[in-house]
Amino acid sequence: MANTNPISRAEAEDFLYHEAELLDNWALLEWKDLYTEDSVYEVVSTDCDDPENADPTTSLFLLADKKDRIDGRAVRLMKSAAHAEYPHSKTRHLYTNIRVAGHDRNGTRLKVNFLVHRTGGDITTHFMGELHYLLVRVGDAIKIRKKRGILDLNSLNDAGQMTIIL
Amino acid sequence: MGVSASALQLVQVDQQRKSFRIHRSAFKSGEVFEREKEQIFSRCWLYLGHRSEIPNRGDFVCRSLMGRNLIFQHTRKGEVIAFYNACTHRGAAVCWDKRGSKKTFTCRYHGWVFDTEGKLKSMNAESGYPEDINDDGHLNLPRVRLEQYGGLYFINFSDQTIPLYDYLGDYMRGVIDAINDQSASGEMIITPGEHAYSINANYKLLIENSADGYHLMPVHRTYLEFLADRFAGSKDADVAGTMKGFSAIGGAKAVGNGHYVLESNVPTGRPVASWIEPWGSVLKEEIDATRARLEQKYGKERMEYICELQKNIVVFPNLVINDILATTIRTVEPTSPGTMQVTAWCLAPVEESAAMRAIRLDNFVSFLGPAGFGSPDDGSMLNSAQKSMSGSPTEWTELSKDLQDVDDLRVAAGPPDGETHMQGYWTQWDMMLRGAETLEG
Ligand code: FES
Ligand SMILES: [Fe+2]
Repeated sequence: MANTNPISRAEAEDFLYHEAELLDNWALLEWKDLYTEDSVYEVVSTDCDDPENADPTTSLFLLADKKDRIDGRAVRLMKSAAHAEYPHSKTRHLYTNIRVAGHDRNGTRLKVNFLVHRTGGDITTHFMGELHYLLVRVGDAIKIRKKRGILDLNSLNDAGQMTIIL
Repeated sequence: MGVSASALQLVQVDQQRKSFRIHRSAFKSGEVFEREKEQIFSRCWLYLGHRSEIPNRGDFVCRSLMGRNLIFQHTRKGEVIAFYNACTHRGAAVCWDKRGSKKTFTCRYHGWVFDTEGKLKSMNAESGYPEDINDDGHLNLPRVRLEQYGGLYFINFSDQTIPLYDYLGDYMRGVIDAINDQSASGEMIITPGEHAYSINANYKLLIENSADGYHLMPVHRTYLEFLADRFAGSKDADVAGTMKGFSAIGGAKAVGNGHYVLESNVPTGRPVASWIEPWGSVLKEEIDATRARLEQKYGKERMEYICELQKNIVVFPNLVINDILATTIRTVEPTSPGTMQVTAWCLAPVEESAAMRAIRLDNFVSFLGPAGFGSPDDGSMLNSAQKSMSGSPTEWTELSKDLQDVDDLRVAAGPPDGETHMQGYWTQWDMMLRGAETLEG
């Protein structure tokens, strides 16, 4: 029987800082294990009318990974033939204003402000917005069942491409 | 660059030496870019939008194209038109929304009101203007020439250019038909959600790349490896084996007026209508039904052409339609010699099942777009080419692969992993830049 006790803000914060650290260190093979087998990682498109409720099976997202592609993304980005991230960008993930938005038998929902700085070559770009998480307890660990990124951008014309993970 | 671009022959063909090359000022020079705007973008048909984006009377989409702000409008009378989004009074935009539905446009500056045909309805003034001031219509929002084929609407800034129908030509129209035939009713729609991003490279580098069979293995190896991992254990697992046969099926075709199509076989599965085992049996039924419908309508050969061959399409000068693992419409807008903005949408048959739509969208983002497993690697090649060639003493880009021995390279066919089709594009580009081709009827 899964432990369905709510996850506190302090626990969530520690967990998110851990995720950010793995991402900034390009420890993606460890990062992918933060996700449950039924997890999704999604970023809605920048012109989405209803980013909280949009559905990737009916609208075009920037990305919509189920676990197989979360794993695939991590594995791919660690290969030197993933040209867009060769050499790896320098990134700094700032997760802040962490709020517990609710809890039910699916897990604990969070809203998190984020700002990610990314430097590739001589170009530095910024991704900012809100992340919506659904976290669950699996044994003693906390895992991510859902992470949805909502960018405060109207296009990626400044950022170019989005090859890093938010 | 030392030499004036206009004095140079920027595309050089030497059939004796089987050489086709492009002077790199074509990618770098501000002078060439200005000429392109004048000679090419002011004469060619440019993609504006899809019929399904403005289904009802009053619906509109605001779009900017080559620095011109336009409104793509379904009028209250039921016509589809395009006009400039700049007030005829003192220039402010009459519409600040990206899309929506309106009865009239009221300019926020002094309150002039225009109807959905762009006609001036009110000047928001009790006095000060003669009654007949707009009798000649000069204060209506100016319209842009607009024509459509198969639901794809194109504008033209010249009134001299041949009609869109002739501009596309038989082969290209047939390819567009093949895409629209994915729908039993012939009705395709743009799904909600767009990809809008930029690449720091000359726009023609992306045009070349969008239908380049030569780059698949070097650039997209990690994607093909991902597919092989995902398909492991199914009958579709031998991705590398299929790719070995890549050069044997289809072709790279220049089809006139600079347009081209790469027709090839890549084992990704196609929502219309090429099934792969990992999708499961439910979708197989839907795909089999589509294939049966198309075979009955057109015969086996055309059915297989529609269903099985991946089509990477370029409509000269800046529209890409990739009918591959999903169907994307992608416009490429040059913003300077070394920068472009890209906008892409997903095209789908209106009546396909929810499960098929889900697979289509999933396929799209798995490979395409600024966060896919494919497009960003392409983008990084273009960034790299633009940056590195600017400091290089090599003056020419070599585009000689599979040069065909024909009089007009704008209509030629070569193998899918060649450059024959691109040679057709560049020949048209060169002729238009020099004024040797004006597309006038
Ligand atoms: S600029 Fe539009 S009313 Fe004056
Ligand atoms: Fe590519």
